[in-house]
Amino acid sequence: MAKDKAVPTDKIAAGLTWRQLVEIEACARCGECLVWCPAYAQDPRESICSRGKLGYLKRIVKSGLGGEEHKEFLEGLYECSACGQCHIVCPLRINTHELWEQARAALVKAGIPQPEALIKHLAAIREFNNSYGKPQTERGLWAGKAWQAGLLKEPVRLWKEHPAPVLYFAGCTASFDSAMQAVAVQSARLLQEAGTDFSILGPDEPCCASKLRRMGDPGFADEARKRVDLFREQGIRTIVVSCAGCFKGLHSDYADILPGTIEVLHLTEYLDRLIREGRLNLRGRVPMQVTYHDPCHLGRHNQIYLEPRRILSAIQGLSLIEMRRHGPFSSCCGMGGGLKLAKPDIQKKMSAARICQAEETGAEAIVTPCQTCLMGLTMGTEAISSGLKVYHINEMLVRSICPEAGREHIEKAFADAEGR
Amino acid sequence: MEVIYPKPWVLFWLFVICGHLYLDYSLYLRWKGWSRGETTGFSIRRLKAPVLKIWLCEVFVQRQLFSLSVIRWLIHQCIFWGFLCLTLLSLSKFILLLLSMISLDAGLHAYFSNGTGYPFIKVWGDFFGLILLAGCVGALSRRFVFRPVQTAHDQTDTFLSAYLLLMTLSGFMLEGLRIASSPSDPDLYAFIGRLFMPSWFGIASDTGILLAWLWIVHAFSGAAILIYLPHSKLLHSLLAPLVIALNASEEQERKDMYWPKTKQYRPTK
Repeated sequence: MAKDKAVPTDKIAAGLTWRQLVEIEACARCGECLVWCPAYAQDPRESICSRGKLGYLKRIVKSGLGGEEHKEFLEGLYECSACGQCHIVCPLRINTHELWEQARAALVKAGIPQPEALIKHLAAIREFNNSYGKPQTERGLWAGKAWQAGLLKEPVRLWKEHPAPVLYFAGCTASFDSAMQAVAVQSARLLQEAGTDFSILGPDEPCCASKLRRMGDPGFADEARKRVDLFREQGIRTIVVSCAGCFKGLHSDYADILPGTIEVLHLTEYLDRLIREGRLNLRGRVPMQVTYHDPCHLGRHNQIYLEPRRILSAIQGLSLIEMRRHGPFSSCCGMGGGLKLAKPDIQKKMSAARICQAEETGAEAIVTPCQTCLMGLTMGTEAISSGLKVYHINEMLVRSICPEAGREHIEKAFADAEGR
Repeated sequence: MEVIYPKPWVLFWLFVICGHLYLDYSLYLRWKGWSRGETTGFSIRRLKAPVLKIWLCEVFVQRQLFSLSVIRWLIHQCIFWGFLCLTLLSLSKFILLLLSMISLDAGLHAYFSNGTGYPFIKVWGDFFGLILLAGCVGALSRRFVFRPVQTAHDQTDTFLSAYLLLMTLSGFMLEGLRIASSPSDPDLYAFIGRLFMPSWFGIASDTGILLAWLWIVHAFSGAAILIYLPHSKLLHSLLAPLVIALNASEEQERKDMYWPKTKQYRPTK
C-alpha cells in the first residue's frame, strides 16, 4: 500500500517521549492486551487493542501509513477509554494509557485532529471552563440549594470568604449535572459530619482540564499550570476531590508537570482516614449486599483499591461481594478517554457488560466512588433494563450517618426548588 | 578427540563481522529514531530495590507471564533460557579461543575443548539445546494446534520459531553425525546428540562433506541471527529488559507501582 507522504512522521515522533518510542518497538505482540481489553470485547478489531495500535504507531513514526490503515489507526486510537487494563497485563509494563494520550496530542500537534465530537467538547471546556457549557456562576449553586433544603448541617463557605485547611473540589459533573449534584451535597454533608473545616471555590472552581489531557489537547500543560497557579495564589494546601477523573488530573497529571505542589486526596482516601480516626461515626445499619466498581482513574491509575473497600466494610450490615473482575482487573464502564463522545455505542455496550458482571454476583446494588462511572453504569442498567441499583459510595455512608441526606431526598428537594 | 572436517572459518568470521556491523548499524538507526522523541530525565539513582526486584522477576523469571498462563510461561522460559545459555556457551568458547591465542586462558581452552572439561560442554550444550527445542516445538504447537485467541498471525513470528527450531535441530544432527563418524568416551555425555546418530551412517560415502554442510547450516544460521534480530520479534529480547526497567522506575517515582495477582482474575473473553 502506498504511504501517505503527507503524514509528518518526525513531528509525530517528536510529540512522544524517548521511552515511548522504545516501547513501540519493544512490543512482542503477545496479545495479552487483546484478551483483557473491554473495548475489544465489544468490537473485536485488531486496531482497537494495544497491540494493533502499537503496530500502527510503529509504522507511523517510521514511514507513515497508507490511507485506509491511517483511518483505521485513528479510529482505534479514539475507540479506547484509556482504562489502562492493557498496562496492567502487559509483560513489559508498557504504560499504554499514557502512550495513547500522548499519541493523540502528538497527532494533533502534527496537524491530525481529534474526531469532531471531541473537538467540540474540548472547545466548550476552553470557552466555559467546564465541560457542560454552562456559565461558571452556576457552579456552586448546589451548596446554597442544599442548605436551603435542610440537607446540610451548616452552609458551605466559599474559599474567598473562609480559606479553610481543606478545599472540597466537586468537579464539573457534580456541580452542573442535576442528576449528579447529590454527590457534591453528600460529600459536603459527610465532611461536616466529621467536623472537617472545609470550603469550596464555588464560581471560581475551574474545570480540572484533565479531559484535555485524556483527549490529546496539546494545550493541557498550559491549562494545568494556570490552575496550579490559581491554587497557589489562594494558598490552598489540601484538596479533596470526589471525582476519580478530576483526582487523576489534579493528583497525577498535574504532578507530572509540577511535582509535589499541593496535597490532593480522593474523597474515599479522606473519608477512610476520618473513619479510622473515629471522626466519622457510622451509627446506622445498612442491610444491603453490594458489589464495588473500581474506577480506572482511582484503581489502575492510582492504586487506590483498599480505601473504598475499607469504608464499605466499616458500614454495619453492609456486605460486599466482589465481581469476578475487580481491583486491577476491573472492567471499565467506558466513560473515560473521550470514548463516550467518539463511540457512544461502544461505551454503552461496555457499561452494559459491566452491569452483567455485577448482576452475576447476586448483589442488589453496584457502588462506585466516581460520579462519571456512576453515570456510565446507570446508562448500562438502562441499556439492558437491569433492576440493579447504582449508587455512589457516599450514599452508603449517608444512609448510615444521616439518612435525611439520601439521594432521593436531595433529588426531590432540588426538583421542588426548581419547580419541576 | 574432535573430528576434523573442513570448516570455512574465514568465510564464517567474515559473515559474523558483517552481521555484527549490520546489527550495530540497525541499532544505531533505531537509536536515532528514538532520539526524535522528548527525553525524560532518567537517572540510575531511580533504580531502587523495588525496581530491581521487579526487573529481576520480570526479565529472568517472567512472573507476569507465569500469572497469565503457565503453559505460555513454560514455553517462553524454555526459549529464553535455552537461547541465552547456548549463546553464552558459544561466546565463552570464542573468548577462551581468543585468550588461548595470546596464552591468557590459563589452559581453560584446552581443558574444555579436549580435556576433562569437555563433558561439561557436551552436557551444557545438549541440555540447553533440548530446552530450546522443547520451547520451539511448544511455540509452534501453540500457534498451529492450540491457537489461543490472541495469537498474532504474523508470518515473521512463525518464521522465527521455525528458524530457531531448524538451528537447534541442525546442531543436534551435526553432533549425531560427528559421534557416528568417530565415537569417543565423552560423547556419552551428549545425551541428546547421540539420539541423532544416523543409522544409515555405514552407507555414507563422504561423511566429511556432509559434516561440513551441516556445520555450515548450523553455524551460519546461528550467525545470521545478528542480521535477523533487528527485523524480528527477537528485538524484544534486547528492548524488553530496558522497557521494564524504565517503566518500573517511573512507576516508583509516581508511586503507582503494581504487582497484580493475575491468576485470581479471568479475562473478558
